[in-house]
Amino acid sequence: MDEEAIGWVIRTRDPEFADWEAFTSWLEADPAHAGAYDALMAADADLDRIVPEEPVTIAMPANDPGERRWRPMRWLGGGAVAAALVGVVSIGLMNRSDIYTITTRPGETRTIALDDGTRVDLNGGTTMRFDRHDARFAALDSGEAAFTVRHDAADPFRVTVGDAVFEDAGTVFNIVHTASATRIGVSEGKVIYNPDAEAIALPAGRALSEDDSGLRVMDIATDAVASWRQGRLTYANAPVTQISADIARSLGVQLTATPGAGATRFTGTIRLDRDPARFFGQTAPLMGLKAVQQGDGWLLKEGDGPPR
Amino acid sequence: MATGLSAILLNNRPALLRFLRARGAGDESEDLLQDMWMKLEEKDLGPIADPLPYLYRMANNLMLDRYRSAARRERREQDWAEGAGGVMADPSEDVAIDERLILTERLEEARAVLRALGPRVELIFRRFRIEGIGQRLIAEELGVSLTTVEKDLQKAYRAMIALKHKMDTE
Repeated sequence: MDEEAIGWVIRTRDPEFADWEAFTSWLEADPAHAGAYDALMAADADLDRIVPEEPVTIAMPANDPGERRWRPMRWLGGGAVAAALVGVVSIGLMNRSDIYTITTRPGETRTIALDDGTRVDLNGGTTMRFDRHDARFAALDSGEAAFTVRHDAADPFRVTVGDAVFEDAGTVFNIVHTASATRIGVSEGKVIYNPDAEAIALPAGRALSEDDSGLRVMDIATDAVASWRQGRLTYANAPVTQISADIARSLGVQLTATPGAGATRFTGTIRLDRDPARFFGQTAPLMGLKAVQQGDGWLLKEGDGPPR
Repeated sequence: MATGLSAILLNNRPALLRFLRARGAGDESEDLLQDMWMKLEEKDLGPIADPLPYLYRMANNLMLDRYRSAARRERREQDWAEGAGGVMADPSEDVAIDERLILTERLEEARAVLRALGPRVELIFRRFRIEGIGQRLIAEELGVSLTTVEKDLQKAYRAMIALKHKMDTE
């Protein structure tokens, strides 16, 4: 295969490519070059049909932190080491008297103002730890919280979430942490994911999620970040399992989805309403689903609504 | 009225002609450039940040379109000669399901090939090829050098184009 021609396919596909004179010279060097380039560009155009437009997904084998496949890579290296260190540190911190825990019940929200001017809004069903002597520390143990951070480059604000760390760079961001997944969305400034390991920069408008299927980086509308504070939940192609968890946390209702309903995806905005019957009456059809009351909770199942 | 892009085209006529000839347009290079000029005169595109690269890209796209339609024509003629083509295509549901299965299989295969290249190569390829982000920006985002991004892309492209060829001959 023609390595040089592939190189030119990549270069000319770059939106910033400008060195067309060099490309002309390469084409002139051998009359066969143009044909090789055309054939590869045609093959490249066909890739659309075999490479789905899904968010960037990186496989990360679950339950196997000691032997991550990507360990040997320099830019990702140290992930497991950092994770191990954080684990040790948080156990140490838990025993300290200056660490305190704040928990909200499902449906309850709470705002914490830290000494440095940083504000943390806790959504329902959330547990967080803070440090009385270090306003730049926060740990999200489970649930969802929105952070409005007063930035200080010399002393960055860090949120520990499971074995991951998010470091702000002048920021408003929202984190969800459940047993199976961590999601962050950035609406202002920038957040660095695991600054000592992967160090993935997340500017405003970018989101990251980590679950069994891997690590994903995707785009997010900035006004969709932490929109639960305005009583809205906004999604782009999100699985209904995730949406159900968000609803349960925000409204304080027990909510499950049948496997079929849980696997469907939804794009749009859901308006939160404290009256469950009214809420589900409006929301379920929006998602093309049906909601039925079951004992104390609600069940989302596949409806007979219009196909989406 | 020669303003904006069409004026810039006229000013850079020799370079663009040279490019079109190198691209394989041969004797038609002059006509192609003339067509481009007419198109630019017809509609006002407003100010463009880098007009000359824009014109080169326009010319390059023109050549890519020509190549693709020529390839399609060739395929049609071949199908005709072999007695296949439209008459044979049976629009029954079985065929559609078969095609869907093959497509799903291919998507899975492509996903596996990309995954096997490693997370950074996959991430960079998707960002570049699917989301259309430039290499310089990707390097900044990931905090790696531009050379690393270039090498990863070369690796991903090599694998994906090899896969594409394999699928075509199946």
